Amino acid sequence: MSDHDAAPDPIDQAYVQAEAVLSDDEARAARRARVLAAVAREPVTPPAATFSSIRRPAWRRGGWLAAASIAGLGVFVAAHLYQPALRQPLTDAAAPAVQTAAGPNQASRGIAASPTRSAGVPSRTPPPTPRAFAAAPLTATPAPADVQPVAPPPPLLMIPPAPKAFPAAPAPAPPPPAAVVAAERGSLLPAPNDQRPLLGGASDEAVDAQGVTRGAAMRASRQAIPSPPPAAPLTRFESSARPRSDQAARLRAAAAAGRIAELETLLAQGVPVDTPDADGNTALMKSVKADHPAAAALLRGRGASLDHKNRAGESSRDIATAKGDPELNQALGLGP
Amino acid sequence: MDLDPADDADLLRAHGAGDPHAFARLYDRYDRPCFQFIRGMLGASHADAAEDLHQETWISISKNAAAFDPRKARFPAWLFTIARHKVLDHFRRQKVVILASAQDDAAMMVRDPGPTPQEQVESRELAQKLVNAVEALPLAQRGVFVMFAQVGLSLEEISNATGVGVETTKSRLRYARATLRLALAAERSTHV
Repeated sequence: MSDHDAAPDPIDQAYVQAEAVLSDDEARAARRARVLAAVAREPVTPPAATFSSIRRPAWRRGGWLAAASIAGLGVFVAAHLYQPALRQPLTDAAAPAVQTAAGPNQASRGIAASPTRSAGVPSRTPPPTPRAFAAAPLTATPAPADVQPVAPPPPLLMIPPAPKAFPAAPAPAPPPPAAVVAAERGSLLPAPNDQRPLLGGASDEAVDAQGVTRGAAMRASRQAIPSPPPAAPLTRFESSARPRSDQAARLRAAAAAGRIAELETLLAQGVPVDTPDADGNTALMKSVKADHPAAAALLRGRGASLDHKNRAGESSRDIATAKGDPELNQALGLGP
Repeated sequence: MDLDPADDADLLRAHGAGDPHAFARLYDRYDRPCFQFIRGMLGASHADAAEDLHQETWISISKNAAAFDPRKARFPAWLFTIARHKVLDHFRRQKVVILASAQDDAAMMVRDPGPTPQEQVESRELAQKLVNAVEALPLAQRGVFVMFAQVGLSLEEISNATGVGVETTKSRLRYARATLRLALAAERSTHV
């Protein structure tokens, strides 16, 4: 290729000359008038809107920044809305009590009464066992075994049920003492007049104190509602407000340690009896491994499965058989 | 053609600012080459659309006057880029299939006829023959030839306007010239 191509060629000049020869001035004048009239009718775009390559609006450059700001604001709001509830898992004592008493009202309020399953609980977890205290506030007597439990409200994002959910419900009758419940199960519990035998540990004491204080404030705001019973039932409701996964872990820990009273409390609150841990071990397995016949018997009596297998492929039956403890086997119903 | 890009940009800016005479002055500068370019690109079979496309081109120039950046291109390059797109849009609407010419290589082999082209187009009839020959060129060659010969754009400007490389533009221009020489040679032989 040479520069000759870029230089004017005789054929180019011939074409220009030909166009000049054929030029029609009249047609050109008519065309001019028509084009200029059409242009005059069309609005001219303002420079600010068309000089986009030179003056780009700031929002175009910062579009991603705006999106990130909105996302960050959403996270901030979500954190401030939900974190206080997670840090404060304890609810007012009156709320669950009222909820229990107002069971029939739940349907009319559109509240789901289905059993809940906390996040992290496997799907094979059986439905919660009947809660002995569920019917107690209504009748002030121990609940029969075939009474259908009132399931707690489904937790939303692991948030305990808010006490304001049932503000106008009537006050319930006091639930039966824990010892009464335990007596039905086989007299494994101590002193019936002990109001607080079922919870142990400093943290639970703090829970009680906070719960009572908040409950008192609620009572003060509802002057027409009679005073609730003392602290012992309140502690149970407070515990029921905790996430089920925590309660299942507590159940397994109590089974491993042989803490019968705590087991009773947790089972009475409807904690699923066969919820496994990360290794697939259930509370019954832990009680068998730790050789706590009483705890194993209690769990078996609440329907704990002997054949549920952990990740190692062992069932409670296998573990008990391997141990060869006659008392343990008898507690599990495996002995002669 | 005496082009003054600075003046063109000033006229466009004045038109955007509301000067009613600025656009007419600009139009008068480029009316003839623009119309001839459009008509040449359209060819004889679509010559009826030349008036409309010419008008559409200038309306687009008016509406987008503020978008013209003289630092990026001269006004005629911008104008003929828009005009070319109008023609291609017209062909697209009419579902015209643009085929490459199979005579390109043969045209390159034609020897330059004896008399100069200027001598041959002195008559109106021969002028019409040459214009018809230009309109019969393949579309790509036609556009390059008219922009180079009639408008006076450089090869680089044509390359920018058509979206192809400079070497391709040179090649198309060379093929177009060869084809036109062939047409003029044939015309001379019929007159002899």
